[in-house]
Amino acid sequence: MTAVPDIEFRAVTKRYGAVTAVSGIDLAIPPSAFVALLGPSGCGKTTCLRMIGGFEQPSEGQVLIRGRDMAGTPPYRRPVNMVFQQYALFPHLDVEENISYGLRQARPRLSSREISQRAGEALAMVQLAGYGRRKIHELSGGQQQRVALARALVNKPAVLLLDEPLAALDKKLRTDMQIELQNLQREIGITFVLVTHDQEEALSMSDFVCVMNGGRVVQLGQPSEIYDEPADLFVADFVGKTNLLSGKVAGLSGDLVNVALADGTVIAARKRVPLSRGEAVSVSLRPESLSLSAPGSGALKGIVRNRIFLGSTAEYAIEVQGIGSLLAKADHVIGQGNLFKPGEPVAIGFAAGAPLAFPHAKNNGTNQREDQNAEILP
Amino acid sequence: MPKSYRDGLPITPDKFVDQLMRLKRGSISRRDFLGLTGLGVATAVMARELGITPTPAFAAENLGDRMSIATWPNYHDPQTFENFKADTGVAVEVNVFGSNEEMLAKLQAGGSGWSLFVPTNYTISTYKKLGIIEALDMAKLGNFDGKSEDARFTAEGTIDGTIYAVPKNWGTTGFAVNTKKLSKPMSSWKEFWDTAMAEGDGRTMVHDYQLTTIGNALKYYGYSFNSLKQDELAKAEELLLKVKPHLFAVSSDYQPGMRAGDAWMTMCWTNDGAQLHRDIPEIAYVLGKEGGEIWTDFYAIPKDAPNKPAGYALLNYLMNPKVAVKEHLANGAPSTDARVNALLPKEVLDNPILYPAADLLKPLEFGAAATLTDPGRAELMARFKSA
Amino acid sequence: MSETGYKPKPDNATGGLSSAGSQPAFPMRGSLFRKNLVTTLLLAPAALWLVVFLVLPFIAIAIFSVGERAPEGGYQAALTFAQYANLPARATAFWNTMVLAPIGALACLLVAYPVAYYLALRAPQRWRLILLAMIVIPFWTSLLMRTYAWMYILGGRGIPALLAYVGIEDLRLINTPGAVLLGIVYGYLPLMILPIYVSLERLDRRLLEASADLGATPLSTFLGVTLRLSLPGVMTGFSLVMILLLGEYLIPTLLGGGKVFFIGNALVDLFLQSRNWPFGSAIAITLVLVSVVVLIVANRISTRLSGARRVDLI
Repeated sequence: MTAVPDIEFRAVTKRYGAVTAVSGIDLAIPPSAFVALLGPSGCGKTTCLRMIGGFEQPSEGQVLIRGRDMAGTPPYRRPVNMVFQQYALFPHLDVEENISYGLRQARPRLSSREISQRAGEALAMVQLAGYGRRKIHELSGGQQQRVALARALVNKPAVLLLDEPLAALDKKLRTDMQIELQNLQREIGITFVLVTHDQEEALSMSDFVCVMNGGRVVQLGQPSEIYDEPADLFVADFVGKTNLLSGKVAGLSGDLVNVALADGTVIAARKRVPLSRGEAVSVSLRPESLSLSAPGSGALKGIVRNRIFLGSTAEYAIEVQGIGSLLAKADHVIGQGNLFKPGEPVAIGFAAGAPLAFPHAKNNGTNQREDQNAEILP
Repeated sequence: MPKSYRDGLPITPDKFVDQLMRLKRGSISRRDFLGLTGLGVATAVMARELGITPTPAFAAENLGDRMSIATWPNYHDPQTFENFKADTGVAVEVNVFGSNEEMLAKLQAGGSGWSLFVPTNYTISTYKKLGIIEALDMAKLGNFDGKSEDARFTAEGTIDGTIYAVPKNWGTTGFAVNTKKLSKPMSSWKEFWDTAMAEGDGRTMVHDYQLTTIGNALKYYGYSFNSLKQDELAKAEELLLKVKPHLFAVSSDYQPGMRAGDAWMTMCWTNDGAQLHRDIPEIAYVLGKEGGEIWTDFYAIPKDAPNKPAGYALLNYLMNPKVAVKEHLANGAPSTDARVNALLPKEVLDNPILYPAADLLKPLEFGAAATLTDPGRAELMARFKSA
Repeated sequence: MSETGYKPKPDNATGGLSSAGSQPAFPMRGSLFRKNLVTTLLLAPAALWLVVFLVLPFIAIAIFSVGERAPEGGYQAALTFAQYANLPARATAFWNTMVLAPIGALACLLVAYPVAYYLALRAPQRWRLILLAMIVIPFWTSLLMRTYAWMYILGGRGIPALLAYVGIEDLRLINTPGAVLLGIVYGYLPLMILPIYVSLERLDRRLLEASADLGATPLSTFLGVTLRLSLPGVMTGFSLVMILLLGEYLIPTLLGGGKVFFIGNALVDLFLQSRNWPFGSAIAITLVLVSVVVLIVANRISTRLSGARRVDLI
């Protein structure tokens, strides 16, 4: 990467009393990217966002925006703007006044003509032209969301911060807004940093996903990378649906390990970290990598317990003797009566390379800080 | 008496009331506090353990076990009521008032519940006119001796030959001066008002009471204290408006200011003057040689008194010189009764504040009912206060 | 039946079409009646209280105000507006009151706002309740007692006596306009602090962050967001204190030496000294009307400034 990163964290730690919310994060966010900070509540993602915004100061380390150390720079002097959770729109101002609020703070002062022109553009950008004189409480949730967006963007920030911006919207609106946000980011070309606990949202919208857990960055990568090549068991489990099968390393051969599952079946799995013979592992198998067929072939045998037909796909809960319940997802092709019925025995197969083995122990540590670090900050 | 929960307390309610009265005595004077605060209905209840003691045999009539009296703050020796209860079994509830006007309002409204009260001379004719006080049955007041009373003080209690009220004590309205701050000797109302605008600038108080404030302003010109004449009142108003910006306060609560040294000179009633002088010798009490007010407080019985027998019994008890002398020692105002004066210590009788020389008393006038109720004087006072 | 044309018909006509129709009508009405009865019973004491101690006295005062003063004082039945015509005789008192009330309320506000601001936004959470209690508890003592305490503090044996030690002699603090203002601010401070505190407490902190995020300095955030959004509380406190000050007479009398004449003093004199009840009643009625006007104006301003749809006065 040749360009100066828009946002850079250098060994940033944030403590609240005895509680460490963020511990030793190093992170560089490239320019003009849509980046999602993804993690369960309490993982430190919001704290990171607030440190960029200037609402929190790191206990240790540096936060840089476009190469400038932001230590001691108050929020109102930072070239970033934020879309707050539940928007934090000013209830005593109308839509246009909300949007032009930032413009009015500019020094030297902008002419009122420029202010109203730019506010008008921002309104048009979020498709709210003509709503300028509305009161905030007269707007729907989706409209408020657009006002918040326009208000943050009208100042032409270097980076736009979004704190769970879609959490308050219903599902249909959320999907629309996801697309809109993506288009907007591409149009404007500035960096968007999105904080979310919704992995689907992170995967669908962003160029990069930064998965956080326990105050640390667990994995930074493109969505497909995060999904296909999770760095550890936590990521594998947190991002997308997966089946986790317990077993022991029975043998090693190059990149692959042979894992003996609880029922004695041995399967070959790829590994992300060195493993030793006899080590307890969890094997991750994505539901869509499982294939079902009539009994007789396949690595595992089971009985269909449940079937959810979703049109293009069907999801099956399959009981495997000695292992437990597995989730499988099969494409549905029109005209082929390939649906299995509950109670039917099936054989389960998977492509070579689909199973991923992770050390078992690591799972215990991943979520341990969750209780201490509430997302709501002190 | 069985052991009571009170025995273990550091202070009993009785003692607390005594302490409170002692605290109030000397720092807050008669009409001011309650009148000022509008708390005329505030009641200091001294009656305790009602109806426990049986009525002794001496009473010919059934006196019941309780009665109530309306009077002024710090005006009685609390022991008097204790003793009365011990003798008769009647517990006395004491209601204290800030002004005659409040007493009148309460009585006029009916249902006051009082069997005895203490009106000032100039209100008695009004009470009689309104028909709300009793013509006293003197047969029940054996302790009262009209011959031992100074006729000057009894006069206003008698209307058309009928006795409606008997005197409690009398007093004068003069002014108190802090002689350390205002060393020039003074002896007249003219000097009072002139000093208020000169050496006493910002340090002089006048009553928040039209009767005395206007009356003493009239005295500046030698007019009657009770004048209702337009031209005379106009002159008084002119003087009052001229003095107003120089005043420390328009208030009848003058003891705190005088004691603290904030005020150097004030219009003052006898008993307050005596108390101030007793505690702070440099505060002198002066009667204007032009005259001014003399007053008598009376005892009277309301027509609707719920317990007239007890009212008469208490009044008769209070007319006993041996009882009355203690009352006078407690409240400090001079007595109207020669028999009481005979029992008072020499230093009290020799106190010129309480018993001024005859030539000073001579020009003094009793306030008249018409003076007090005159709407024109009320408006004049309002103009003075709002100037 | 087209969807747009459908309207629910009365129960007896729908024949089971609507779910409400399947319910018998009487139990519904019965429970509704019971509910109303309970509500009525619960409200009765308050309503009775209002009627006996507010409405009836007000009616009595209104009747007095068109009467005449009896020769011995008090009230005499009549139907005349002479008392109202005489109102200019107390014009100075009205004027003094109309000056004192807003100035007193303003002084109170200037002291109360920083205190409320500190309590709501700056004080550590665990101290808040204690600090609030310290503000409210003195309020439980009678205003008269507390004002008397100030009389002694400001009187010659109080602060002036202390100042005499450092050579400042014969300073008079009591019975000055400053003393009155001090007494008013002290006496009414909690009434001003509490509504402002509540409005600041309710303030969404994210709005302050949003303002800072949009480039506003702390001062412009305070002026543009904090102050604006606490205005309903300010107006509540202001009108509350102002209305009480319209009837105030104790503090000016005790700490001002009774030299300035307010409506409250005029009323006390008319009822307790000159016993001119009808004129006093006419003044009282006028004062009530003035208070109502103040309330309405305050409410209007408050609604407009805050952009809220509704303003709670208490």
